[in-house]
Amino acid sequence: MTLLLGVLEEGLIYAVMALGVYITYKILDFPDLSVDSTFPLGAALTASALLAGVNPALTLFFSFAAGALAGCATGLIHVKLKVRDLLSGIIVMTGLYSLNLRIAGGRANVPVFTQDTIFENPFLADHVPGGLAPYAAVLILLLITAVCKVLLDLYLNTRSGYLLRAVGDNESLVTSLAKDKGTVKIVGLAIANGFSSLAGSVYCQHKGFFEISVGTGTIVIGLASVIIGIQLLCPENGVSFLTRLGLPHVRPTTAVIVGSIVYKACISLAISMGMEANDLKLITSLLFLVILVVSTERRKKVKPHA
Amino acid sequence: MKKSVKTLFLAAAAISLLTTGCSGSPAPDTQAPADGKTYTIGIGQFAAHGSLDNCREGFLLGLAEEGIVEGENLTVLYENSQADGGIASQIITNFASQKVDLICGIATPMAQTAYGVGRKQNIPVIYTAVTDPVAAELANADGTPVGEITGTSDKLPVTEQLQMIRTILPDAKTIGIMYTTSEVNSLSTVQEYKDAAGDYGFEIVDVGISTTADVPLAADSLLEKVDCVTNLTDNTVVASLPVILDKAAKKNIPVFGSEIEQVKIGCLAAMGLDYIDLGKQTGRMAAAVLKGEKKASEMNFEVIQEASFCGNTKVAENLGITIPDDLMASVKELFTEIEQ
Repeated sequence: MTLLLGVLEEGLIYAVMALGVYITYKILDFPDLSVDSTFPLGAALTASALLAGVNPALTLFFSFAAGALAGCATGLIHVKLKVRDLLSGIIVMTGLYSLNLRIAGGRANVPVFTQDTIFENPFLADHVPGGLAPYAAVLILLLITAVCKVLLDLYLNTRSGYLLRAVGDNESLVTSLAKDKGTVKIVGLAIANGFSSLAGSVYCQHKGFFEISVGTGTIVIGLASVIIGIQLLCPENGVSFLTRLGLPHVRPTTAVIVGSIVYKACISLAISMGMEANDLKLITSLLFLVILVVSTERRKKVKPHA
Repeated sequence: MKKSVKTLFLAAAAISLLTTGCSGSPAPDTQAPADGKTYTIGIGQFAAHGSLDNCREGFLLGLAEEGIVEGENLTVLYENSQADGGIASQIITNFASQKVDLICGIATPMAQTAYGVGRKQNIPVIYTAVTDPVAAELANADGTPVGEITGTSDKLPVTEQLQMIRTILPDAKTIGIMYTTSEVNSLSTVQEYKDAAGDYGFEIVDVGISTTADVPLAADSLLEKVDCVTNLTDNTVVASLPVILDKAAKKNIPVFGSEIEQVKIGCLAAMGLDYIDLGKQTGRMAAAVLKGEKKASEMNFEVIQEASFCGNTKVAENLGITIPDDLMASVKELFTEIEQ
């Protein structure tokens, strides 16, 4: 039970970030590495803000805003300065490392165990019945993730959201509509990194400390979640096992959240199966490779008929 | 549809294939020892690193001294997060779900993660290799624990080190220190050196770096300004220590270490930590908690009881320095050659 809750908690925290990666990787087709630094950005900002006495819930909004700014920076470097997509992300990622340390007050590790967080505060202590306490964190995370997902779904159905999807699929269409595809990309990157930073904020409050290394490998988790989720629940040919079973079609955003939980479950399974500690990174990368290989196979089959 | 389900199975199969081959955590031990009590503990180590490995080894030795022996009445679940914070928290959650009696967190981030999870599950936590438990919010300013968590700090014996340098180099005026700006422990130790240096007639010259790539240039600039160099337990600098030692040797400038491993590879001497000893001390604390003699919340965190002196006579010979006899009398380990 503890393990299940642990997997759900971990999965849901990273699901918010994975929603961001879904926008860049799947919708915009932009390999955005800046999430590796916007995730700790949110965590650093949150740790500093909590120590300064800022309301824990407010830190979520600040983090989103800061992440969105960083995303804009990646976008501007790519669109206005014409730097390649991968490099723009790397530039922002490298620069933000120093900035994150600055934000955290020059410290690589900032504990916030004694501060109120969205998971531990007087309000929750008063209003959550004792029996529900072990599930409080999961419920709060579920709420945050659900709100992010619904807002993203709503956004993708607006005019701006349609343009975002169009840029990934067919850039010329966007140009023919007299819209600037560069601006659309910047908006997409801003939202994506906003989500990543927001996830970092939640992570910091959940764990009770900020550590400069938390961002390492964020993109791997994000990509794995997106690919697992999409492959599993809404593959490109539109026929998932859900539809075969007569169940309703799920949105890609839901699939990504499920993907994040499945990914964390796989890691947890690997740990609890008693694998050699030192092989964990290798297993992560192999798991990733297997999923990628299987997904490219599918693309080959679909494209010739498309 | 079949494909997508297959994808998952493939992934799952890949993991199981990979994992079953590896030696893993042993099944809970059923054989009962003399007092009939068996324990299961989880050791979470933040990174694979010589000093931290020594901590873990010492920890198990310390437990054994108190009659809690791995394989007899103790089952040890050991995981290493390879410096990945996300993995660290999954490791600890995994320990919690297996209802371990105690979690041992090695290095600051792992100790913090263990406390974050442990306090919700009522599992006591023992940490080691946490340089500043107060700054990490694992202990209050007076040394009392913040909850069911206690352990040992690997704070360097700064004054003993300064005293030793003064004894070996009576005429030296400046000591150089290189540190990484992102390592919290190094920052606080450098400050401590600066505060104490005056008492021994030294002046500290520090140089901060941000990556391994900065080490050669920083070393050149530092060696221009100092009479000797002392080294911290800074991870980045320690990893590049051979570069500094090489440059210092060419200029005939002595470099002092902070632990035994550094003296082995060419530091002149160190009044430092023995991580095995530190681990043993931690293990004894864990034994007290496991046996129910004391609660973790009733024990203040401890620092290493005594600094141990070790020296390298080959390095001394190269530099034309003789290590004074009174230091030699207390030597814990003496190296006669430089290990490459």
